[in-house]
Amino acid sequence: YLMPVRAAPEGLSEKIDASIKSAQESCADDPASGECVAAWDEVEELSAASSHARDKAKDSDPLETYCKDNPETDECRTYE
Amino acid sequence: MAVCTVYTVQPLNTSCSISTPTKTHLGFNQKQVFFFNNYSSKNTNNSRFRGNKITCSAGDTIVIGLAADSGCGKSTFMRRLTSVFGGAASPPKGGNPDSNTLISDTTTVICLDDYHSLDRTGRKEKGVTALDPRANDFDLMYQQVKALKDGVAVEKPIYNHVSGLLDPPELIKPPKILVIEGLHPMYDQRVRDLLDFSIYLDISNEVKFAWKIQRDMAERGHSLESIKASIEARKPDFDAYIDPQKQYADAVIEVLPTRLIPDDNEGKVLRVKLIMKEGVKYFNPVYLFDEGSTVSWIPCGRKLTCSYPGIKFAYGPDTYFGHEVSVLEMDGQFDRLDELIYVESHLSNISTKFYGEITQQMLKHADFPGSNNGTGLFQTIVGLKIRDLFEQIAASKASAPLEATKA
Repeated sequence: YLMPVRAAPEGLSEKIDASIKSAQESCADDPASGECVAAWDEVEELSAASSHARDKAKDSDPLETYCKDNPETDECRTYE
Repeated sequence: MAVCTVYTVQPLNTSCSISTPTKTHLGFNQKQVFFFNNYSSKNTNNSRFRGNKITCSAGDTIVIGLAADSGCGKSTFMRRLTSVFGGAASPPKGGNPDSNTLISDTTTVICLDDYHSLDRTGRKEKGVTALDPRANDFDLMYQQVKALKDGVAVEKPIYNHVSGLLDPPELIKPPKILVIEGLHPMYDQRVRDLLDFSIYLDISNEVKFAWKIQRDMAERGHSLESIKASIEARKPDFDAYIDPQKQYADAVIEVLPTRLIPDDNEGKVLRVKLIMKEGVKYFNPVYLFDEGSTVSWIPCGRKLTCSYPGIKFAYGPDTYFGHEVSVLEMDGQFDRLDELIYVESHLSNISTKFYGEITQQMLKHADFPGSNNGTGLFQTIVGLKIRDLFEQIAASKASAPLEATKA
């Protein structure tokens, strides 16, 4: 039985994997039980969190990330 | 007698003097902030104050509710909405990195998952899902949304989606526009009555399945079976507690499989309906060609390039849960986004400020999901409608400040 643990988002895909396995286990005996439904809800929540994290990572442009920290460098200076 | 200039109409994008250079306003509450604002911008006009106290009640925050299931594009909608108001939305600076809140100059978006009364372990022990009202604290939700609407800052809990725990609260200050998004913005009647406008994103089962496959298939452990099982397991609670909320929504965006391609189940080509309630104050539904008629329109031809399967629009009156509504429908997708201007020029009541504003907004976010079909188009239209609503409410409060302050 999986106990939720505090983990960084990097560990998310392992957690999804584990939560799917535990959902499949808890649904083996009774597919309509509250336990089974709650387990699949946890899978959905983790999958959504992971997709949000992926979107965030995708958005970041390497040059823009660099320029946030180093606005004075040649490749980052902009004059309006 | 106190006349309150809180309701003065200001152009949306100008920030009050408080949000400019110095950050000293942080310690003030909203009422003092307005005092500050009046004082510096209008010279002293003592008749506006009773002694040193402001006698008006603030509360010029308008509240918008957005309901949708998880993984149904709420966050894309939110990004489009905040973009209409100008400025990018970002999480609160220096706070919890897992905060679900988004703040821009005019808009604050709070995620209603933060009002979970049971954390992930608690729900598993009780055998309830996050969709179940028993897992949510509607009393706190009502109190805090009410307080924000009245111009009072609140300490709102944070539900951490990664750890599944309730984190220490964060301070939310009353914005001009408060958006509450999540599973239950219209579930509790008290919260529902606080909303100035409400939207429901209604994703059909076929499309939901296709979207979740796109989202999750690459994920470790997920398979077609697990995605299906997860949707099936949550469905009874979804049908019982989430879906019925759409009857209360002022606008519903319904996403369905296309009818242009027989037996399509990829979920790439979509038929999207914008269902707009009639008779809502400050909200005039969009129409195509002639208000109240039933119209079917295929814009493809000499002026609009369409490849297979083309584009088809429909418009007409209808009834939805016993309410009179206007429905605008778009099936298919655009090949060239800049040609959207041709469609835009045939829509009326779209609340744009200049010709081509919808097209411009869509082009600005051409990389967002849905930008080439009806989801992006209708989300942008609803965003413009909300801006219009906000401005009308602000104007009506400005024209009747006396009544507002006598109470």
